[in-house]
Amino acid sequence: MQASITMMQRMIVGVMLMLAAIGVAAPGSFATAQTAIECVASPSGGSGNPAATPATASASQAVFPESGELTVFAAASLTDAFAQIGDDIMAANPDIDITFNFAGSQTLVTQLTQGAPADVFAAANDAQMQAAIGEGVVAGEPQTFTRNRLAIVVPADNPANLAGPADLARDDLRLVLALPEVPVGLYSREAICDMAEDTSAYGEGFVEQVGANIVSQEEDVRVVVTKVQLGEADAGMVYVSDITADVAGDVEIIEVPDDVNVIATYPIAPVGDGDAALAGAFIAYVLGPEGQATLEDYGFTVLP
Amino acid sequence: MPDLVTPTTSARSSSRRAGHDASRGLGVAVFIAAGLLVLFLALPLGAMSWRAIQESRGLTPEGRDLLWQALTLSLTTSLASLAIITLLGTPLAWLLVRRRFRGARLVDTLVDLPIVLPPAVAGIALLMAFGRQGVFGQWLDQLGITVGFTTTAVVMAQVFVAAPFYVRSAKTGLLSVSPETEEAAMVDGATGWMVFRDITLPLALPGIAAGLVLAWARALGEFGATIMFAGNFPGITQTMPLAIYGRFSAGDLQSALVLSLVLLVTSLAILLTARTVSSRSEDTDG
Repeated sequence: MQASITMMQRMIVGVMLMLAAIGVAAPGSFATAQTAIECVASPSGGSGNPAATPATASASQAVFPESGELTVFAAASLTDAFAQIGDDIMAANPDIDITFNFAGSQTLVTQLTQGAPADVFAAANDAQMQAAIGEGVVAGEPQTFTRNRLAIVVPADNPANLAGPADLARDDLRLVLALPEVPVGLYSREAICDMAEDTSAYGEGFVEQVGANIVSQEEDVRVVVTKVQLGEADAGMVYVSDITADVAGDVEIIEVPDDVNVIATYPIAPVGDGDAALAGAFIAYVLGPEGQATLEDYGFTVLP
Repeated sequence: MPDLVTPTTSARSSSRRAGHDASRGLGVAVFIAAGLLVLFLALPLGAMSWRAIQESRGLTPEGRDLLWQALTLSLTTSLASLAIITLLGTPLAWLLVRRRFRGARLVDTLVDLPIVLPPAVAGIALLMAFGRQGVFGQWLDQLGITVGFTTTAVVMAQVFVAAPFYVRSAKTGLLSVSPETEEAAMVDGATGWMVFRDITLPLALPGIAAGLVLAWARALGEFGATIMFAGNFPGITQTMPLAIYGRFSAGDLQSALVLSLVLLVTSLAILLTARTVSSRSEDTDG
């Protein structure tokens, strides 16, 4: 007994010393791969592939059935606007019950593909809508229902003293973006690539310098806002509509100029296994005057 | 197998017979209930492993990089956490067991609290304390120290959620050592440290070892507090659970599956090692 225990004791002490050494050495020794911003040769200029979403605002009157339960899967950036739209619809149609599931569009596609029950899917870019169509979970033609602009958001006291987008390349800035698979993450990277084209305003090596400043990649746009609101990050890139009344006091907005701003387009479509009548009525409402007015109230850009 | 629970009786009277049937019925029910739970636990893990093995051939070089970075980070951070937990947790467990002091009950409850708290609460709590605008974080920030988005923050999150498991188990281990044994050694002229090293620690070892395994497993699986407090960046803060969630939420189920399988195998290896070590020490004790 004694022998085995001293052996174990020695082992434990040895392992612990080793760990302490690793713990000290660890933070510096990791290479950072896979986080570089990759720019495509031709900047897409924003609205993705317009051919994929031909329909805009072909709003028919929203007629809801007597009663029913509707489940809407919507991009995280739609959280407040859609919650308002849901409340308005339920107030006017007391026997209609609407449930929302808000997450990054790419997460919603995974959930839909894995059989999550939904009636409507509203994405923050065409790529994720096309992915859902490719997986066969969406029925019918997607329609573009709103647009959104990018903005840089910093904590209210602006600890890094950011004055404009060019400062994103500054040393020691803690920048938080969404994952490249999240629509806003993709749009942010496109905007950074567009900025880099203008070397007189943004300098050489802009993309590399901004890329080196990224300290975290979040799974949806709302988490980016929270990290900035908490002051953990010096700056983040989000949609204008994400700077809601709730967070407006805690953050400051730095405009992204039009020539490099990427306009996000949001497609909506009914889900194949869902209730087609309810889904159609909801989509018609969103495309109709009331839905459009609510979206505008929440900072979205109205359709042209 | 149901026979294990039925009483051994050869009585033939009808009332006895009914009792026998009833307990046989109970035996079957026990067997079915236990089997259902085992099946429920095994089925998802089996299904995941099966799908992951199918997918692993298709892992891209980027996927392999991601896997390697996340696994290295998970192992180093969880082992660093374990070292901290052992160094600080053992004295705490010893104090709680051996010393009567004011507020001992309070400390005891406080130490247990993270076990019942959801990791999301741990994440917010850590942010409020050590975030840049947090109670201590503000002060640290003025000294030029920021913990958010660093590997240090990952270790802090892991220590916060895992330490209670170690302290709890180490306490149980220390309780099994009678103070008389320690006193006897003292009478024989042993110093406090010698008593702890040669008497207390060896006797408490099963509890301490179990605590180490529990704490390591908890640290390795830590997700909620890490993603909220430390952030998510490959090689710096993206541990295996974060990488798995990240790949899943990016729609890359294939990589998520392979990473999950690797984490499952790692955890299994830790469990089996611990089993072997503890059964060996029990054997030698007996």
